[in-house]
Amino acid sequence: MSRFLTAGLILFPFVGLFLAFPATFNWDEAIGNTVVYVLVLGFVNVWLGIGTAWWLMFTESRWKTAVEWFTFLPLFIPVLATMFGMYIALAQLGLVGTHIGVGLVLLVTTLPYSIRLAYNAMYVIGRPLLEQTLTLAPWSRFGLVLFPLLKETIRTIVLFSTVIVLSQFVLVQLMGAGLIPTVTTRLYQAYAGNDFALALQNTWVLILVPVLLYLGIGGLFGIWIRLVKGRLQ
Amino acid sequence: MSRSSLWISLFVLALPFTGVAFLIYETVGFDWSELNDAAWRASLAVTLYVTLVATAVSLVIGTWLARSVYRRRSTWLASLLRWPMFVPHVAAAYLFYVLFSGGFPFYGVVEANERHHLVVILTYVWKEVPFVFLMVIGTYAQLNRGYVDMAKTLQLTPFEQFKVAEWPFLVKPLLDSFWVLVAFISFAYEVPALLGVTFPELLGVLAYERLTTGLFLNAFESYAVALVWTLFIFIGVIGSYTLTAKRRRRIERGMRR
Repeated sequence: MSRFLTAGLILFPFVGLFLAFPATFNWDEAIGNTVVYVLVLGFVNVWLGIGTAWWLMFTESRWKTAVEWFTFLPLFIPVLATMFGMYIALAQLGLVGTHIGVGLVLLVTTLPYSIRLAYNAMYVIGRPLLEQTLTLAPWSRFGLVLFPLLKETIRTIVLFSTVIVLSQFVLVQLMGAGLIPTVTTRLYQAYAGNDFALALQNTWVLILVPVLLYLGIGGLFGIWIRLVKGRLQ
Repeated sequence: MSRSSLWISLFVLALPFTGVAFLIYETVGFDWSELNDAAWRASLAVTLYVTLVATAVSLVIGTWLARSVYRRRSTWLASLLRWPMFVPHVAAAYLFYVLFSGGFPFYGVVEANERHHLVVILTYVWKEVPFVFLMVIGTYAQLNRGYVDMAKTLQLTPFEQFKVAEWPFLVKPLLDSFWVLVAFISFAYEVPALLGVTFPELLGVLAYERLTTGLFLNAFESYAVALVWTLFIFIGVIGSYTLTAKRRRRIERGMRR
């Protein structure tokens, strides 16, 4: 009984998705921007997250604790609050209203999580196993050992960064100076205009993008791991 | 390879600190008494209320679920808890808005856009419980069962068993989650803008509105509030980590088997 109750409580908000028919789906600039941001930021987060975590794992530097704090602290700073400051800073550089400016602030909000996730995963795998890969050339180290080992971590990093990127309205609106539409910024306009079907369509997109990406990456990794295992025989 | 990505990460993560520096620079000479108006005061009160209630409830439920997954090995619950993680906060806010703002059975009992911000809290709890669960389940996975067995052998009450055999190890993940959630919930725009009311508004919503309306004339108020709030959380983080440092270090040493 309590099982059904728990499951019901977790799943009931999804009912909202089926209360009406969403507007028909059209590919437009907002969806294009969203998909590009999600893919680029997912890739950059995996790359920088694993790279930085690798350094933290193996360094003998006396700066290690300081770097750990420096990469961890941004999680405790309200993004929107520092965003106001970053807005002033990036405006000086002429980055407001550009894709680079928006991409940079989105990276700031996602990277601390990615470094943390990658570091925790490597910590669990353990230094000895990772050290053995050092004898391999970089490409085979990543392709044959690290990617298969870190499969679930990479999926989680991409999922986290995707969901966070898709949640940002103010960041994109302020940093993009209103010039860069994404599904999220359009959701607020649709909501303000009381366009129920359009808002629901945007909500569907916001949920389907992370789901499809998660399943897609899982599938690609599955194929890759089977190929790598085939080499063993 | 790792060195170059380290430098890029450090450069990117220096941006929020640069942001804070710019906020300090902008608020030099700001007349702080401007913040003493009814809107900001009401906003502070409602922000503290929403943040603390949502965070506390998420921490309790998340820990409780992690504990029952650990004790009963209920994998179905663990996989079910992943579902809300696929939903961005904005989409979650909209789903709750649809459910609680008309037509649906809940209408009249709990409503969106009312003064008590119950639906805002509900949305945050729904979204953050899986996050707390993830933070805590790792600790439970590494937990040495010996402590629990020992507590049982000594015939402690279930509450005391939890207190001596589990709680000391939970301090670190719960402290981390507490501050991440407080920083995240207390100064955000998306969810409360959709589900809140025009008075009292949460700090993030009010700050964004003051910043963007009226040709940036009230921008300095928003900068000042953002700065004060960041420093407030910063002091809280430093304070709580220093207070628990000794205890956490002792536990970490004990955890290595």
